[in-house]
Amino acid sequence: MQQSRTASKPPWEHVQAGLTYGVMAVALWCVFVYVPTEKAQGIVQRIFYFHVSVALTMFVAFFLVCVASIGYLWKQTPWWDSLALSAAEIGVLFCTLVLITGPIWARPIWGVWWTWDPTLTLTLVLWLIYVAYLMLRADATDTNRTRFAAIVGIIGFVDVPLIRWTVTKWRTLHPKPVVLQEGGATGLPPSMMLTFLIALAACLLLSFFLLRQRMALAQRRHELEALRDEIENSFAR
Amino acid sequence: MLSSRRFVRQGLAILLKDLRLEWRTRAIFTSMFVFTVLVMVVFNFAIGADPERIRAVAPGVLWVALLFATVLGLQRAVQVESEEDCLQGVLLAMGDRSALFVAKAVVNVCYLSVVALGALPLFSIWFRIDIISCLGALSIVLILGIIGLSLVGTLFAMISANTRTRGLQLPLLFLPVSVPLTIAAVYATTELIQGRGLPDIRDYLTLMVVFDVVFFVVTLLVFDYVVEE
Amino acid sequence: MSADVMVHMQGVTKRFAHVWALRGIDLELQRGRCLGVFGANGAGKTTLLKILATLTRPSAGTVTIAGYDTVREATKVRPLLGVLGHRTFLYGDLNASENLRFYGRLFGVSQCEERAAELLQAVGLEAHTRQLVRTYSRGMQQRLAIARALLHQPPLLLLDEPYTGLDQHAVERLQSLLHGLLQTEDRTIILSTHDLQRGLRICDEIVIQSRGKIVYRGAAADTASADIEQLYSDYVK
Repeated sequence: MQQSRTASKPPWEHVQAGLTYGVMAVALWCVFVYVPTEKAQGIVQRIFYFHVSVALTMFVAFFLVCVASIGYLWKQTPWWDSLALSAAEIGVLFCTLVLITGPIWARPIWGVWWTWDPTLTLTLVLWLIYVAYLMLRADATDTNRTRFAAIVGIIGFVDVPLIRWTVTKWRTLHPKPVVLQEGGATGLPPSMMLTFLIALAACLLLSFFLLRQRMALAQRRHELEALRDEIENSFAR
Repeated sequence: MLSSRRFVRQGLAILLKDLRLEWRTRAIFTSMFVFTVLVMVVFNFAIGADPERIRAVAPGVLWVALLFATVLGLQRAVQVESEEDCLQGVLLAMGDRSALFVAKAVVNVCYLSVVALGALPLFSIWFRIDIISCLGALSIVLILGIIGLSLVGTLFAMISANTRTRGLQLPLLFLPVSVPLTIAAVYATTELIQGRGLPDIRDYLTLMVVFDVVFFVVTLLVFDYVVEE
Repeated sequence: MSADVMVHMQGVTKRFAHVWALRGIDLELQRGRCLGVFGANGAGKTTLLKILATLTRPSAGTVTIAGYDTVREATKVRPLLGVLGHRTFLYGDLNASENLRFYGRLFGVSQCEERAAELLQAVGLEAHTRQLVRTYSRGMQQRLAIARALLHQPPLLLLDEPYTGLDQHAVERLQSLLHGLLQTEDRTIILSTHDLQRGLRICDEIVIQSRGKIVYRGAAADTASADIEQLYSDYVK
């Protein structure tokens, strides 16, 4: 019988929480106070720092889903499956944030709610794929759930370069409202670059923090089930 | 694996069995074909009377019709196999289970090809597009697209067969994942009917080939995990 | 384990979500013997047979058939099995001979046509070979399913409730078929049923299953029919 966890958390968790909150606070300060307002786009441009950071974090999360799915199919332990599920949920969360911040940025600047730019379109398709992933987990029968999800997790990520290529090609055929600066690294003055990097770090830290919390929840659930099984089994004898 | 005689024997047996079943009932093919025609007709009404506009969206309509026909055909095929748990019976007899996957995918390619063959004349007439001049190149685009759709579709069909909402899961998974193929196919078709040749659509063809190859490999690798218990 | 042991199960447990279908099953069966598994609905008979048929894996414990582990060496076990389940595994839109020829090709049965004709005769369906299976009565479908299970001459037959849906005449036919297999062809048979009388007539050994456990084990000849009935109703109530 396993020892029940005490209510207090190990020190490393406190450090991680503190670090996450700290860097996020610095990032917010940087984005809203420190960095100068961009000339062409005005105050709305500030959302770019989070929009792109969240997008990159989303990719990291989905990459993690792929790795964890391969790990699960190979090792068949629940830990890998928990990692895949947690990373997928966080990925979808951050994906949704990209799809929300995108229009918020686009509307004041380009006058349209949605610009079919390649990254945004790719994000939309990924959202559809990984939402389907989560729905599959909910719908599949117990014995199949984790395996099917792992397969979709791998296929989803393998599809990314293919989607990216076609969507970029497709986009070049459509007239854009205004020439888009994709927030690329070129041409960013140092203060903006610094702000971007801090925002990126903040988003990554946040995602890892959430990932850890979610995985702990998943592990707890497994332990609960194991205990329940033990009890039932001992009654049956 | 692929060269083993048992692989070929079992794959062929399944392929022939499916074709024989289909020939007897013609249920799958009929529903796929009728649905394709329906989509083309409805789109014609939905887009409006302007013939130029209709011509412009025609390739998109064709591929949307094929996409939905694939989903429909696969759902019915899954239904046939689950009626008396025949899939279990077959799996118990299989040596290398990927023979089952390859056979099913080939069967799908057959159905889609026949549907496309039947739909093309109607497509040409209703959308006023001359396909005769680009028929050869168009066939290549069609076959590459159909192969990709069948590979991805068959895998997801077998996955969704084991879920509670099997009717919903298949399109939910299949449609987003096949987006690259759809885009490439539609644009390749557009270029061809506008009079350009194969060299002009080299990019799209490359993507479709890459898609097909990547998914062929990936699906063969994971298929065992789909059917094991 | 001697070379004569066909089936060996040790500590087999099977769990579906929070339902325990099998708890700690130990079973051994010699070659050429017929085992009857009796029990009420929900006792776990079907799960037991599915595990033997490699259609599902045990949650715990080991199962070996003819010395091969059913989980790790499933591909070696499957050709040795003839399975009759709750569903017939038959295609409704093909006729009897097409169904048998298809499975014959899958199993790699030599002289498939002759074998199929021979089996159709043995189960009494020779007059109906050209009819679609969809038009068959339940009893006829069951008989064809048995023919299908025997196609590749498997040394071990697993029959899950073979008497369901059969009239008296068909039952007699089935009994004599099974007798023939046991006597002349030295097959091993495990069948599950809740029909005590019919089962006793053909089985060498019996087990009674109740709520996932084996509660009685013995030779059919030793126990008088009345005793067994008493025992059976005791456990089933």
